Amino acid sequence: MTAIKLENINKDFIKNQTAPTLKQLLLSFKRPKKEFMHGLTDINLTVEKGESVSIVGTNGSGKSTLLRIICGVYIPTSGKVTVDGRMSTMLELGSGFHPDLTGVENIYFNGAVLGFSYNEIRDKVDKIIEFSELGDFINEPIRTYSAGMLMRLGFSIATETEPDILLIDEVLAVGDNAYQEKCYKRINDIKSHGKTIVFVTHDMRAATDFAQRTVWVKKGKIYMDGESHKIVENYLKEIS
Amino acid sequence: MKDLKLLYKYRYLLYQFVLRDLKVRYKNSALGFFWSLFNPLLQVATITIVVKYIMRVDIPNYSAYLLVAFLPWQYVLNGLLDSSDVLIHNRDMIKKVPFPREVLPLSCVASNLIHFLLAMIIFVVYVLVYWLFFHGHPIMTTFLMFPVLVFMQTVLIGGIALFVCSVNAFFEDTKYILQALLNIGFYLTPIMYPVELVQNKLPENLQWLFKIYMLNPFATIMDAYRKLLMPPFEGHVAGSMVTSLPFDWLNFTVCFVICMAIGILGYMYFNKKKNYFAERL
Repeated sequence: MTAIKLENINKDFIKNQTAPTLKQLLLSFKRPKKEFMHGLTDINLTVEKGESVSIVGTNGSGKSTLLRIICGVYIPTSGKVTVDGRMSTMLELGSGFHPDLTGVENIYFNGAVLGFSYNEIRDKVDKIIEFSELGDFINEPIRTYSAGMLMRLGFSIATETEPDILLIDEVLAVGDNAYQEKCYKRINDIKSHGKTIVFVTHDMRAATDFAQRTVWVKKGKIYMDGESHKIVENYLKEIS
Repeated sequence: MKDLKLLYKYRYLLYQFVLRDLKVRYKNSALGFFWSLFNPLLQVATITIVVKYIMRVDIPNYSAYLLVAFLPWQYVLNGLLDSSDVLIHNRDMIKKVPFPREVLPLSCVASNLIHFLLAMIIFVVYVLVYWLFFHGHPIMTTFLMFPVLVFMQTVLIGGIALFVCSVNAFFEDTKYILQALLNIGFYLTPIMYPVELVQNKLPENLQWLFKIYMLNPFATIMDAYRKLLMPPFEGHVAGSMVTSLPFDWLNFTVCFVICMAIGILGYMYFNKKKNYFAERL
């Protein structure tokens, strides 16, 4: 069974996107010519249900764009995205939170952002608080949280809500060692329940230990795709 | 239709956004939610004093006739201004989290709707007090039309809000253009004057202009609030004798259709553009 299928995905971005000045608007009869840059070119990727895939690549290579295409924040310029199942995303720390609300209030808020109803979140709120290990801080406004605490809360919500597909963009790195370990254990757990996980990471140990398959993204293309140890070995050779 | 279904699924998110808006707005202020009641209260008091002692209109309780249109206009004004840049304010969320984007402008409209309804409660209390102690006027049975009026006004504001915020995402001058248009709109709409005054002042051969004037859905709605919630009046306004005209049901029906059409068109436009917000913001 296929969870995620990307077929011939291309994504172009408009270059130099600034608002036209009044002078430009009045003087130019033609619109200024748009220049495009290629974000992603010709991406073909199939992820089966129950698979755990890590994505590696240098900064600006298109890893995050790829995740955004999968979750539907970006619409590809051409190509087809098929996703089967409910998806939870953690693309950045604290996105989908409100700084002035407390941890508990944000659980309800973020749960709603992920598409849950009040009753569904109420049933899970205790487990989320427990997994986050935030203790009394859960009743403080989250603008007072550290990056690690934000990650704990976000990861707890994203995983306790039992998604079919979990997308994580390099956010786990801010957790302390023990908590990172706990997160990866949770990822293994989810995987063993037949759920799908795609995560971006710069931690090569995590990329191999918690995924059998690794995708190496380079200059907007899938450069290599296969068994984790092999890909990571090649990747480390090239970047060092 | 598919978009509506998704929006329905995310109705709890809409509720959360409104709740967040109301909570955060007064979270760090001492008087809290009281501010929501205080502002309309202040407006009622100010307009009453100005009309009674400065403008000296000889219609009893004339300030209520102004307020009954002024409060709905506040709803239009704040609802549209809040939603015009809501996408830019929530840029981070739009870029990072998939969720139906229409929730953002609609939550602005919804939280202003709540403020408007609170203000109307204060207004009704005021009218009741006036009625009990000063024998103003009876409560109108046409008051039952109030929900219909609020509904069509909300659809109208929603449609415009969806349109304006999506244009504003690509062209940020939109907000300022909207502000200018709303300033003009305030005077082109019968809020601080009765609609009958417009008809009186127009010469015989220009009466068709009045028809065009009433095509502005806001004009019809504000006039409807006045006529359905308040009894007819007679007296001198701005130096001319004014007698209320009977309520024009045909015009009202046309306006209702216009409101629904604007609501639907605004939503369609938004849906066409919403996939590009994440990369343009």
